[in-house]
Amino acid sequence: MDLLQRFAHGEIDAFETLVRQFQGDIYAWTVRIVRDPAVAEDLTVETLWRVYRARHRFRPDGNFGAWARRIATNLAIDHLRRNRPEQSFLAEPAEAARPDPVVQREIHEKIQQAFRRLPAKLQVAATLALIEELPYDEIASALGTSVGAVKLRVFRAVRILRKRLSHAGVSPE
Amino acid sequence: MKGHEDKHMTEHDDREIRDPLKQSIPPVNTELRRDLWPDVLRKLDARQVGVPWYDWALVGSSAAVFLAFPRLVLLFAYHL
Repeated sequence: MDLLQRFAHGEIDAFETLVRQFQGDIYAWTVRIVRDPAVAEDLTVETLWRVYRARHRFRPDGNFGAWARRIATNLAIDHLRRNRPEQSFLAEPAEAARPDPVVQREIHEKIQQAFRRLPAKLQVAATLALIEELPYDEIASALGTSVGAVKLRVFRAVRILRKRLSHAGVSPE
Repeated sequence: MKGHEDKHMTEHDDREIRDPLKQSIPPVNTELRRDLWPDVLRKLDARQVGVPWYDWALVGSSAAVFLAFPRLVLLFAYHL
């Protein structure tokens, strides 16, 4: 019986081997989304626990890594939903962009804040596509959706960001 | 033609927002710093303390039998 079959039958040794093989990938994927190493570690442990709990649903001829990554993505999206910043976006217009470090820092903070306030699904798509520059098909597979749907989410995220930043007087150029 | 223009504009918009985003949101280290297996094992042990499904099934079937044949409760109590 191969490793994945043994895992699907609930053998803890097989699961340990899979954890050691895939924990780095799951962590790397999660930390790209949540941008916080401590949170990403917790979510990786939770992902692996859920993977074990759902082992009966796993088909041994399937792709374990892709399946685990999808579970991790859903957990990361739930985390972002639960931890959205509550305070409203600063509406006061920023001064014209100058190479002043204080002004620059303020602009960066406004961009970060606007980004963190995006709906979780849009934020994840934008993070992976625009910041991490991952291929759309890889993102679509992890989100369990189509490439077209990912492009649409990125498009909507960009539109919302531009609108909010323009309200705050920040020009993204 | 319009589709082509829209696509071009979208790509332009993406580029326009990508650079400030990448400047504002710092890169993260994707290297895992420690082995998470001990944590996973602890979590598995902690959550397995619950009542197994077959105990719940036994309770459920007993309740169903007692509801269908209430006199069995007396017989059962007599043998306790």
